[in-house]
Order: sequence, then structure tokens, then C-alpha cells
Amino acid sequence: MTDYLKSQRASDQLAAEHGIDDPFAAAIRATRMAMIVTDATQADNPIIFANDAFLRLTGYARAEVIGRNCRFLQGPETSPAAIGELRLAIASGEDIAIDILNYRKDGSTFWNALYLSPVRNKLGEIIYFFGSQLDVSDKKQTELHLRETRSDLEEAVEARTRELSQALEQKTALLHEVDHRVKNNLQLISSLLLLQNRREKEPAVKHSLRGMLERVNAIATVHRRLFQSEDVERFDVSAFVRDLVSDMAGSANREEISVSLDLERVDVPASKAAPLALVISELFSNALRHAFPEGRQGHVSVSITRTNGEFRIEIADDGVGMAEGARTSGFGLTIVQLLCQQLKARSETTNAEPGTRVVVNLPVNGAHH
Amino acid sequence: MPGRALDVLIVEDEVLLATELEYLAEEVGYHSVGLAMSSDEAVDLAKSLHPDLALVDVHLRDGPTGVEVARKIQDDCGCVALFMTANVKRLPEDFAGACGVIGKPYSEHGVKTALAYLAVCLEEGQAPGPPPVGLQLAPAYAERWGLTELPRSA
Repeated sequence: MTDYLKSQRASDQLAAEHGIDDPFAAAIRATRMAMIVTDATQADNPIIFANDAFLRLTGYARAEVIGRNCRFLQGPETSPAAIGELRLAIASGEDIAIDILNYRKDGSTFWNALYLSPVRNKLGEIIYFFGSQLDVSDKKQTELHLRETRSDLEEAVEARTRELSQALEQKTALLHEVDHRVKNNLQLISSLLLLQNRREKEPAVKHSLRGMLERVNAIATVHRRLFQSEDVERFDVSAFVRDLVSDMAGSANREEISVSLDLERVDVPASKAAPLALVISELFSNALRHAFPEGRQGHVSVSITRTNGEFRIEIADDGVGMAEGARTSGFGLTIVQLLCQQLKARSETTNAEPGTRVVVNLPVNGAHH
Repeated sequence: MPGRALDVLIVEDEVLLATELEYLAEEVGYHSVGLAMSSDEAVDLAKSLHPDLALVDVHLRDGPTGVEVARKIQDDCGCVALFMTANVKRLPEDFAGACGVIGKPYSEHGVKTALAYLAVCLEEGQAPGPPPVGLQLAPAYAERWGLTELPRSA
């Protein structure tokens, strides 16, 4: 007897056992879910029943599937791993649910959510396998599409991030380069002034050169501090004043003049740092140079406080006072007046008896973004 | 400054800065032995002149080679380097074996104070106190010169 005939007979027998009035058989024949039954007692486990839904799904006629092992649904793109799992489940008599790529009669493919389970007789022997097939190509397609879309998106984000961090790196490098040049040029300017001062014999010219050097130094002190903090837009005035005053006092070489600082931490926008530095430098320099003539002993105090809406910078000395002190540094005072205008600050000079007190009030608004 | 004058080599590609720096070093008692503008010059001069201290700019005529110069002259002849750079933050953590850094732009007073302070450290092997404003010591040298707590001026 040929395999086909054997299977046909098994099929007929199955049909006979479950006649037209068997509601379970009727349900399996008519359901939209593709289903098959294979005969585990025959060699190579051939199909002995296939419902109409299975034939519609695969494109085969019933005569073409009865008597064949269902591996004819597999093709070149079917995953060998999935086939291996399927074989193992059948061999060990276990049920299995697996998504597997199958081929129709016309060669087109579909994703088959296959469920296969053994059917045992009363003795516990496997006599049939029952299989149901569901076309999940749409779901697979969506999954694949999603995966592709996600990986495309990830790639796009990654590429953009790479571009942005490169651009940032370039900008940062450029900023460092510019900062470096500004600092070097300030160093160059002060070296030029120092060199010329060395050659100059005329006291009045030397005095002017020293004045300019002091102003350049004030600006240089700002730049030394400017990029030291992470925040490049804000400038800590108190730290700067500490640097500047210690440098100027040390440079004046007047041990008989003591200096005290009382500095609250105050931030201004970086753009205001240089003009403010020049104002403080002029005022402190004035005190050092004019308040204590001829080796007179004394004290200069510098304080920065925050009052409502204003920063208050006070530079006070207990020297000879305004009337006596020959405050002839006209250019220095002009600079203070002009820069106070620019900073919208008010500067007030009073007689401190003894000495002189200069107070500069700087509005906080405008100092805050 | 006690003892003999310390020999200083200036490694700087801006000739005006270098010239002024030479004056400043001599004013606080150093003896300037030479000026190098590139890394090769610096290494050669250090080898032949054996200066006690080299003031090294990071950017030289042949690029940002100052860091290597500091390491090389230290290895070659034990010459102590002091960086003078506008890019203090870019120095390696170990200062490439240099003893410290003065940030540019420095002031006349700042450099003189720092150099006078270093002269004492180099001659006595002991710091006379915390480093002056504007001078930042390398951790290894701060320890060597007896400064347990490292006061950073920055």
C-alpha cells in the first residue's frame, strides 16, 4: 500500500469516527483557524487531516497535502533553529508554540504562529499530532518595521549627538584659543610698558607708564580669573578684588601701610568685570599713592557689601585727607567718572576725618540676567 | 637671596615677554643663562647649561611642546621647570614633573614674589610659607617642600 493510500485510509477512518453530526469535528472543519492532524503511527508522521482554512492559507489542494509530512511548508529562508526546536518537540512528545517562516504553494512566504501538540491514546501512546497555524505576517511585519524604525531613529539621534558634540568641542577649543590669545596679548602689552619704563629717565613719563601698567594689570587680573570658574558669564568680584589689592599693595612696597578687606561674595556679568576692575584699581591706587605722603603710616580698608538693590564698594583710608593730599591724578579720576557712568554707578567721595572715603554704589539690576 | 645666584633658563617664544622676564628674574637675584624659543633649543640649552630653574611657556615656536620640555629637562639634567602659561587648566595633573605654574597674564609683582619664594624653596628644600598669590605648586613639590596642606591660590 502506498503512503498516500495509507494516509487516505487513516483519514477516512478519522472522518468515520467523527461523523457529520459531531459538533467538535464540525467546528474544526469550519473554523477560520488553519488546522491539521498528522498520523504519528505512520512512518514520517504524514498529514491525515487538513481543514479548509489550512488549504486557503497554504494554497494547496487537499489531495496535495494528505500523506505528506508538513515539512513541505518550509523553504530556504526558514530558520534552521526553529526547525530544530520543532523536531525536538515532536521527538520528545511535547507541545510547542513557535513562530516560523513558511512557504505557500506559489512560493510566497508567511509567518506561521504554529502550535503543535501530541494526542495520546488510552495507553498513553502518541497516535496523532494536532497542529494549528495562524498567519502572523502582519504582526511580524509591524515588529520588524518597529525595530527598523527604532534603530533608524537611534542611529539618527546618535549621528546628531555626534555632530553636536563635535561642534561643541570645536567651539570650546576656539574659546580656549581666544582666551589664550587675549591673555598672551595682555602679557605682551604689560611687558612692553615695563620694558619702556626701564629705559625711560623722565619721572613724569615713568609715572604715566606706571599708571598705564597698573590699568593693564587690573584688566589682566580680570582675565586671569574670567575663565577659571565653570560659569563663563558671571564674575566673582570679591575673589578678583583680593587678587588685585594684594598685588597692588605688594607692588607699592609700603610696609607701613596696612590693608584690610571685608568682602561679601558678589557676582557681576562678565561684561562689567573689566570696567569695574579699572574703577577699583584707580581708587585703591589713589589711596596708596596720595593718602600717606612721605612714609606716613596708615590703613586702607576695602569692603564690598550687598544692600537692597545695590552693591556697595567702599575704599577708605585714614591718611591726610582730600584737602592736604595732592590728588592730582586727573586722568585717573576721569576714568572713574566715565566708567561709573557706563556702569550706571554712583561714586561719592567724603572726608572721613581722618582720611578719605570713596563709596561706589552699583545697581544689582543689570548685574543679574 | 642667600648663597650663590640660581641659574635660570627662559623658555618662551615671545621675545618681548622673555626679555622682560629676564630682567625680573635678575632683579630678584637669579642669573639668567639663556633664552630658548623652541623645544629643541630648550632641551639642548638645558643639557649644556644645567640651569637650576627653567621658566617654561607651554606654547613654543614648534607648538604646545612646553609640557614635554619640562619632563625632558627634568629627566636629562634634573632641572626644575616652572610653567608660565595662559592655560593653567590644560596642564597634566602631575605637572609633567614641573614644580608649579604661574598663570598668564602675571604681574611684575606677582612674578617677582613667586620667583623669590621659589629661590628659597630650591635652596633650602623647605617652603618659607604658603605660596604667594599667582603661584600654584605641583602637589609633589608642595609635599617635598613641607607644605602638607596644599593651599591653592586659584
